[in-house]
Amino acid sequence: MNDSGIIVDIQRFSIHDGPGIRTTVFLKGCPLNCKWCHNPEAIAYKPQLSFNQEKCLNCFACVSVCPTGAHFIKDNKHEIDFTLCQLSGDCVPACPNEALSITGKVNSVEQVIELILKDKDYYINSGGGVTISGGEPMTQFQFTKQILKACKDNSIHTILDTCGHAPSEKYLEILPLVDLFLYDYKESDYDKHKEYTGVYNDLIQKNFNMLYGAGAKIILRCPIVPGINDTDKHFEAICNLYKDYPKLLGIEIMPYHNIGLDKARKIGAEGQFISIDTTDKEKSREWISALNELGCTNIRLG
Amino acid sequence: MTYNINEIKQISIETKMKDYSKELKITEVYKAYKDAHPAIKEAMCLKAEYPAYFTPIQDGDLFAGRLKQGRVGFTIDEWGPTAFAYYCQFEEIENDLKTYDYPAEEKAKIEEMLKFWETEDTSNKIRKEYPPLMAQYLFSDDWMNTSGIAFPLYRLTGSTPNFKKLLDLGIPGIYKEIEELKATAEFDGRDVQFYEGMKIAIDVLADVCLYYEKEIRLLAEISTIDEKKEELNKIADTLHIITISKPRTFREAIQLFWIYTYVADIRNYGRMDIYMGDFLVNDLNAGIIDEDEALKYLQSLWQLMADRNTVVHNRVIIGGKSRPNEANADRFALLAMEATRTVKEIEPQLSLRFYEGMNPALFEKALDVIGGGATYPILYNDDININSINNAFGFSIKEAERYFTPYGCGEFILEGRSFGTPSGVINLLKALEVTLRNGVDPVTGKVIGLQLGNFEDFHSFDDLMNAYKKQVEFFVSLLAEQEVLEYKICGEEAPFLYNSLLYDDCMAKGKGMFAGGIKYLGGTLETYGNTNTADSLTAIKELIYERKLISKKELLDALDNNFAGYENIQLKLANAPKYGNDNEIADSMLERVHNHVCNFVKNQADRVGLHSYLVVIINNSANTLMGRSTHASADGRKAFEHMNNGNAPSGGNDKEGVTAMLNSIAKPSTSIHAGSVQNMKFSPELFFERRDIIKSLLKTYFDKGGSQAMITVLNRGDLENALVEPEKYRNLFVRVGGFSARFVELSTEVQKDILSRTLY
Ligand code: SF4
Ligand code: SF4
Repeated sequence: MNDSGIIVDIQRFSIHDGPGIRTTVFLKGCPLNCKWCHNPEAIAYKPQLSFNQEKCLNCFACVSVCPTGAHFIKDNKHEIDFTLCQLSGDCVPACPNEALSITGKVNSVEQVIELILKDKDYYINSGGGVTISGGEPMTQFQFTKQILKACKDNSIHTILDTCGHAPSEKYLEILPLVDLFLYDYKESDYDKHKEYTGVYNDLIQKNFNMLYGAGAKIILRCPIVPGINDTDKHFEAICNLYKDYPKLLGIEIMPYHNIGLDKARKIGAEGQFISIDTTDKEKSREWISALNELGCTNIRLG
Repeated sequence: MTYNINEIKQISIETKMKDYSKELKITEVYKAYKDAHPAIKEAMCLKAEYPAYFTPIQDGDLFAGRLKQGRVGFTIDEWGPTAFAYYCQFEEIENDLKTYDYPAEEKAKIEEMLKFWETEDTSNKIRKEYPPLMAQYLFSDDWMNTSGIAFPLYRLTGSTPNFKKLLDLGIPGIYKEIEELKATAEFDGRDVQFYEGMKIAIDVLADVCLYYEKEIRLLAEISTIDEKKEELNKIADTLHIITISKPRTFREAIQLFWIYTYVADIRNYGRMDIYMGDFLVNDLNAGIIDEDEALKYLQSLWQLMADRNTVVHNRVIIGGKSRPNEANADRFALLAMEATRTVKEIEPQLSLRFYEGMNPALFEKALDVIGGGATYPILYNDDININSINNAFGFSIKEAERYFTPYGCGEFILEGRSFGTPSGVINLLKALEVTLRNGVDPVTGKVIGLQLGNFEDFHSFDDLMNAYKKQVEFFVSLLAEQEVLEYKICGEEAPFLYNSLLYDDCMAKGKGMFAGGIKYLGGTLETYGNTNTADSLTAIKELIYERKLISKKELLDALDNNFAGYENIQLKLANAPKYGNDNEIADSMLERVHNHVCNFVKNQADRVGLHSYLVVIINNSANTLMGRSTHASADGRKAFEHMNNGNAPSGGNDKEGVTAMLNSIAKPSTSIHAGSVQNMKFSPELFFERRDIIKSLLKTYFDKGGSQAMITVLNRGDLENALVEPEKYRNLFVRVGGFSARFVELSTEVQKDILSRTLY
């Protein structure tokens, strides 16, 4: 039993991750490495140092406290080498302008539940609840399971936002605790899936079939990234799913947003991600009508 | 409670040489009746003022009644910071004399008039009576521009009399009532002058109607457009009828009501759906008017209210428990909201009382109107407020239910039965900063507070807390005594005839409101800086006393230097727990500060002999104005920046989202004060696209004990753009605390304050 886990953030009054007013818990750690990731700070399993360049005053307070030399001065400017950081945390309080922080902190199940319960009345009145997201919550399986269990004990509606890439038996184990799955469907082509996310999609498809077959309530979430998966072939595949899986509760299109880049920069990981413009409204609408034309009607922007 | 939300503009400036003949006339009349019975003196002054101060109707008005108040006169409310009761606007007049070249003879007369009022102006009379301690510590009347802990306010504001009685009886009925009561008094050998004064006042009211009738008939005569002629004659006919009959139609009712609000200087209108609902529905049923016509009436009335431009008043209440004619009242309420939606003005401040089980169409309509950008109606939760009033004021539930009506800034009163003018302000944050420095004001360097020791001497947090409390208590006591003094002198000065006429027990007793006539005479005290004070105390407790991360000296040095060179300390202070995040430590400190001041104030009532004396936590530009004379504070706020609004989290500090914010603001007890204001802002996206979410959010907040909500729908982008292109955003209204204002007309400082508060 793990009584604690690592979270990136807990967002209250979350209204875009399922029905009603929700609290969304973002867990750290993900087995995938999507090129377009919106939450790059949630990929690594461990906490990370985060540095906000805009706030840096070049005062070098961090340089003098860091035991490992992660902060250093170059051309009279503050520089940082993330690979050297040992997470001592010394530099964070030393910085006078909050340019430094640690992303990811250990929380106990009780802490999380305590926070969740504060908004219980809002969930009840709005038909909302709790969404566990990430990262990939299945990577902190025991932690996720315990939070979900505690939610169910308190009669709170639960959602698991998952990429589908986790051992099948774990999904079966957690199924009774999940009222609704937000299940990612990223790319239909086997090789492209590997290219863009770092894993093949066979396990994901298998788990999807299994959950669907077991009667799970599922909303499919499809991130669409211009120039990557906004292809006819992928759209057709989405429509086929729509036809073949009539009990899906809906399909949501998640247009690419480059907000992830800025976050990646802060943890020194921007090189791993694509850099393109945020999708404009026009484009998203085009996608929706393209999908509509292919016969996929119960579809909306997520 | 401020006079001008845009800027601190304390005096109104004339654009051309002002004619002083009316003011001189009133002064003469006052002199002549100076020693007469107060009722006669007041009646004669009213006669000199009205209709003289009334101004012609304007194009499109369906009702008569516009007014330009003079520089000398009589009012139950106020015409400037110290201009109330018998008032003289000294500063303005002196300014006129300086600006314009008055003929020597006229100038001499005006100067003599000024000199005369020096001792007769009611505020001056009150200040003269201050006992030494009061005079020493309440040393200034200019709270907007002076650094200080507490200030008196000279005003008798928020009167909300029984309009139903006015409309039920009409002028003839009231006249008859006065005659009868006078006869009884005569028989009992009691004072009859009170009733004599009343009779004169009613004559003045009728005179105003007849004056307008005559003027309007003339306008009708010269008008060349038939429709206009006809409309004007209708207005004139209405004016005529109400002088000889009680109002029979919706139109007559509105006309009589409106003129009355001016002669009586009543700026808040109580539960209008009760006293207007039957008139409306009777007319509709009888086919006298249709809904369209009825809406036109209200639109015209709304426009007249807007043009009255009171900034803080013009309250109209609709909805709520115990309306005897609920179905008719609901119909009026819906029409009133439609008028607000279509007239699109800052006033009236339409307010909807609601409760579990009320016709849901009203709440639904309210959200539509708010969504249209109106910021109205303001929502009042009966299910919480009635019990709160019962506890805070000691009114029975039945009374609280029937009469409660928030006015002006949001203080609860009972229509036609209770009164509780805010007559003092206290800056809690200033009290704290003075306490940290042994009585010395860091802004002026003068000793202005009790000297209870230096910060270093407060060895535990409780030592500090106790000193702060003592400081606050000392000033609250003075303000409570000042309020009683103010009532006493006002009671001696005048019976406030038009108001007493419609306030319970005054007529039967033959006594003015403040001379023992009114049933429940209470008072209120406005507190400011509540959240900054609590957050400062939290930071001090956490960082200095408990975690010892900052020393006392370091804190004082940082504050004295406005954090220059102490950015690290400011950051630590700013990162201490803050109210508004559903954080137990911060929220409980707010409750501690709140409970202390509310309970201490409440307990003053018995000591000083008021029916109630309660805190009111409003939010208006006073937070900004008083912030300007308050130094850097331990919550990380820089010197002279605005303080928080009312009970709201201080700007930008509610970081945990709207549910956390609502949970926090629902925590402080609502049953120990006279009212508080809660602002909320939502983005249009949320408000329109997720109406379900908004509804459940509000429902939960109200279920949790939320008493009130003022909702603005806008987004940050709106405001930022409005700063850049003001001309495109003239329609953008925001709530500055308790009041609505055109965003583009606000000072940059206030605009920034609004921007700094979080939008969801
Ligand atoms: S967290 Fe510690 S090791 Fe990492 S950069 Fe900061 S001081 Fe250096
Ligand atoms: S301490 Fe903060 S502000 Fe100073 S150099 Fe380091 S990151 Fe920049």
